[in-house]
Amino acid sequence: MVQKTMSARNQILAKMESCEDVKHPGAFLGASEDFDFRASLEVVGARVLTVEELEIEFPGRRRYDKTMDGLSLAEVEVLEIDGEFGVAENGAIWLTEEALPHRVAPFICQHLVINVSKILPHMHAAYAALNKPNGSFGLFLAGPSKTADIEQSLVIGAHGARSLTVVIRT
Amino acid sequence: MSSHAEASEKFIADAARTDWHDETLWFVRAKRDKASKVLPEWEALREHASQIKDHTLANLGEYLQAFEAKAQANGIQVHWASDAAEHNAIVHGIIASQESKVLVKSKSMLTEECHLNDYLAKKGIEVVDTDLGERIVQFRKEPPSHIVLPAIHLKKEDVGETFHQHLGTPKGNKDPQFLTEAARQHLRGHFLASEVAITGVNFAVAETGEFVVCTNEGNADMGAHLAKIHIACMGIEKIIPKREDLAIFLRLLARSATGQLITTYSSHFHQPREGQQMHIVLLDNGRTRQLADPKYKNSLKCIRCAACFNTCPVYRRSGGHSYHQPVAGPIGSILAPNIDKKANADLPFASTLCGSCSNVCPVKINIHEQLWFWRQDLMAAGLAPASKKIGMQFMAFVLAHPVIYRLGGSLLRRFASLLNNRLNPWYKQREMPVAPKESFQEWYKKR
Repeated sequence: MVQKTMSARNQILAKMESCEDVKHPGAFLGASEDFDFRASLEVVGARVLTVEELEIEFPGRRRYDKTMDGLSLAEVEVLEIDGEFGVAENGAIWLTEEALPHRVAPFICQHLVINVSKILPHMHAAYAALNKPNGSFGLFLAGPSKTADIEQSLVIGAHGARSLTVVIRT
Repeated sequence: MSSHAEASEKFIADAARTDWHDETLWFVRAKRDKASKVLPEWEALREHASQIKDHTLANLGEYLQAFEAKAQANGIQVHWASDAAEHNAIVHGIIASQESKVLVKSKSMLTEECHLNDYLAKKGIEVVDTDLGERIVQFRKEPPSHIVLPAIHLKKEDVGETFHQHLGTPKGNKDPQFLTEAARQHLRGHFLASEVAITGVNFAVAETGEFVVCTNEGNADMGAHLAKIHIACMGIEKIIPKREDLAIFLRLLARSATGQLITTYSSHFHQPREGQQMHIVLLDNGRTRQLADPKYKNSLKCIRCAACFNTCPVYRRSGGHSYHQPVAGPIGSILAPNIDKKANADLPFASTLCGSCSNVCPVKINIHEQLWFWRQDLMAAGLAPASKKIGMQFMAFVLAHPVIYRLGGSLLRRFASLLNNRLNPWYKQREMPVAPKESFQEWYKKR
């Protein structure tokens, strides 16, 4: 097996030796900056609540807690976590493993609440902000889990969280 | 296996359903237009993405090795496979030691290309597809008909009946919300129990050794984060050089695919979870052959958004199954002949060459030109359908002999109905104009 896969590797790489000189175009410049995070959140199906509204709506929510394991998270109704930053152009929020009780946390809970305090205009700025030593896992999360696989009808709550509430804390 | 034309004939026999299919996909195309026009820099993004992919393909060997080294340093095991058989054997080798005989898989066209499910079934391992659309077609023992919307050929009544049979939902219930909830409960059980998860890969970053998987449902993550073993399967063309390049591709992908701003989840797998095994299988399966051919090389730039499907007048009115390949539509029609020229010789002809595919492609693949190149290659290789070959030879003869051409012209002007025969499919379902009384030459001579 090992022998065979080694030879596959060499075979594949051997077919790529002739390199033409085609330059990488470099960083993308000229992205528009005029985006509204709240408007994008609405487009992706997330709700924005104030801190006070959150207290009224989800008094029994669970805060991020490292003791939860992947499977016990399946029992969590409402989970509250912290996002690193939001992206105005598409309503995505960057989450890292360090801020999660478990990688599966934002998917497996029934309802998700994310706190965000920093907002960047677009994905280029987002990746520029990430350009530091990498975490082990991270994701952009934009809205609740959704599908349109049955006749293009949008259904919220496919496999992941059924709702996303974002609290913008300044 | 029937050819695209034969399969399409069956598809369009149901005119109302054909119209519905056509309109549904055009609706997705229209959403793409709206999402792209919001960004003034859209065309610049496409150009940038195209250049990054050109650069990557020119240096693919180096980037693959850089990716491998980084991924290994991150604790990910990297495997290489020359073809589908090797790919499937590697996957089986990884999971054979596991007790569990059921595994979950999120959407991966590459595993469709390799027929992994069938292969594993023969080894006694059941693959549960977890994307809703894929689960629907899996229950029905059908292949996906669209790479982004696998069950787009089905109506909600069909899904209701399928779920009634397989999940015990009430007969006649066709409410998408209700059916999706039934699938959620059914698949949650599998996610929680599964020891092995297979996912596809949207992008793999050479600079960091991480890979990115995009879904709207969250099924890839539900599987991968709960399983002890995560196997990610990717074609070697999925590499991109830098992490910051992801900004461009993620901006383009969902907007082109469904008109969304971004997919709900764009997960960056950089290291295995504590105690987890993470594997990547890199597959060639003809891609290096495509890479070596300047005419077809840039088909490898594809990011699988399916914008070319949604815009294609032939795809919209013939359905994905008519293409008899895991990747249908215009892009599938230029990828498939590379894998098997003879079996897929019909596909490059399943096009009007209108060029709409190339116009919507987020990485600027010249799809319609490559369709035309394939037609020439297939004709030269003697693989074109016999009727086309004979017809072309006949026309070449007539056009090379002016006397016969003029004689034939004057005959056919009088007896146009001669053209309406079984050998001439051009007359099918078309209203033809009335032939003029005289030819241009005759008219010109009189002046």
